Amino acid sequence: MAEKTIYEHLKDEGVSRREFMKFCGLLAGLMGVEFSPPVKALAAVKAPDPAQAVATALKSKPKLPIIWLELQDCAGCTEAISRSWSPSLVNLVLNKIALDYQETLMAAAGFQAEEAKKQTMKKYHGKYVLVVEGSPTIGEDGIYCTIGGRSNMELLKEAAEGAAAIIATGNCAAFGGIPKANPNPTMAKGVWEVITDKPVLNIPGCPAIPEVTTGTIVYFLVMGKLPQMDSLNRPMTFYGHTIHDHCLRRPFYDAGKFADSFDDDGALAGHCLYKLGCKGPTTYNACSSLKWYQGLSFPVQSNHPCLACSEPNFWDGGGFYQGQSAPLNRPDVAAFGIAAGAGAALGLAMAGANAVNKKRAEHKSKSEE
Amino acid sequence: MAWDEFLRFLRGPMFYAAILFFLGGMFFRLARVTFLGWQRDRVPSKGSKIGGVFITYLKGILILPFIPWVRMTFNKNALTYIAGGFFHLSLFAIIFFGAPHMLVWKSILGFGWPTLPAPYIDWFAAIGIVSLIALLINRLVHPVLKKITRTADWFNWTIVFLPFVTGYVMSRHLWFEYQVAFSLHMIAVDLLLIWIPLSRISHFMLYFFSRTIHGAQFGKRAVTP
Repeated sequence: MAEKTIYEHLKDEGVSRREFMKFCGLLAGLMGVEFSPPVKALAAVKAPDPAQAVATALKSKPKLPIIWLELQDCAGCTEAISRSWSPSLVNLVLNKIALDYQETLMAAAGFQAEEAKKQTMKKYHGKYVLVVEGSPTIGEDGIYCTIGGRSNMELLKEAAEGAAAIIATGNCAAFGGIPKANPNPTMAKGVWEVITDKPVLNIPGCPAIPEVTTGTIVYFLVMGKLPQMDSLNRPMTFYGHTIHDHCLRRPFYDAGKFADSFDDDGALAGHCLYKLGCKGPTTYNACSSLKWYQGLSFPVQSNHPCLACSEPNFWDGGGFYQGQSAPLNRPDVAAFGIAAGAGAALGLAMAGANAVNKKRAEHKSKSEE
Repeated sequence: MAWDEFLRFLRGPMFYAAILFFLGGMFFRLARVTFLGWQRDRVPSKGSKIGGVFITYLKGILILPFIPWVRMTFNKNALTYIAGGFFHLSLFAIIFFGAPHMLVWKSILGFGWPTLPAPYIDWFAAIGIVSLIALLINRLVHPVLKKITRTADWFNWTIVFLPFVTGYVMSRHLWFEYQVAFSLHMIAVDLLLIWIPLSRISHFMLYFFSRTIHGAQFGKRAVTP
């Protein structure tokens, strides 16, 4: 018997056709399918229907297995996903379409869970998507993070070997995140730094926006390839703009109206949080456009500056409440004293040498007279 | 190297090195100029040295700039005087009253102060850029200036011009990604900090030094040692 398609799976779960089409439309919009090359090509022939493109793919393609590894992480990205637009979008994609192995969410545990993973990897070799949450650690042969007695590097390499695509979700998996913060005792790294023989798509954020993770997985499902990426391997659809570009406080920035503290009149009036350390201008993410919790809000809207949690090295990128223009390293009094003292000493020495030369010259000219 | 990494380098170790070089260099210049022909003042004052200093600053900064026609400098070189004046005014406003710059001071000094709205700073930047271009054209066409301009002077102009332009591009979000524009601005600023002690731009500090000395000499109303 042929393998069930995704649509058939959803129908079995009680999803009506109307709900299915709404779901497809939502996913198409989220992924920016309209702007993807295949749909653009279709647009040259006839008017494209992005929702229909998604629906066609979901009706014809079998269930996509996903193996979700957790390495050095706090499970925050999983927590975010479990509290997102549930039960509509993410729940449908991850629970009903795809997720086969997820340590936090799955009922199985111990050897049973490991066996399930092994079976999935064997059955879908070369077809499954590997999602990694948390940073791999290479210090002491990966001993700082072991699961079932095996090092994280061993597990990661094993899972990556048979994966059709690798998605690193959250800042830890993408860029090393908090575990990589100075002095980085475990030698944490981003997945793409240790898996170099396959493209790794990064979905950074602390946590990653669940709809971005889901949208990217569905893009792979529909298009059969990873979406267009930027220089840091982030999907352009979601990381093409900065927080600042779409920020609802942007007009205040342009007008030069800032909050100087968290409780002044500017803060109450919703003015720009740049002076309070907002890193929005250099942070690429979809928070200010997609927002969180069904579009309810995002940090800047909730009166807190952007921390740049989706950027590399964000934990070492200066104080969270320090202005973005402020230098990352500034001389302390001792360094200031040493520089000033050295400069003054050199100046004095040169002035002394000049004085000696002057006296010598005067003496010489007198003796010549 | 990604722009993000590059920017971190420019805002971090590079800025640190540049500011220490700037501090050391300025103390070097100050020590050297102080002891260059330093002599004990053996002639008693007939007037007040401090009064002389006070008057010279009052006249030089608060009075004469607003009645420039009484000065020969203005009458003979009006463009240099006006463009130079606007340039210095805009530079002062941007460095001390632009919000991003105040935050730099705050991180170094530990305290901040109120700032001007961004559109005002943008206008000051535009005035500064136009003034600098006017001064450059003047230098290119003026028969005497052309003859006395050396390579270092062109370099001075460029090094001062770049932070203005890159800062304006960054704050108006023109042409480049913000990180790229920020990096370009930081390159320009780090270069400026390093170049100041090595060049005539060090007049930003030595001006006050020489004005104080001359003011004190005028106020003394007696022969100089």
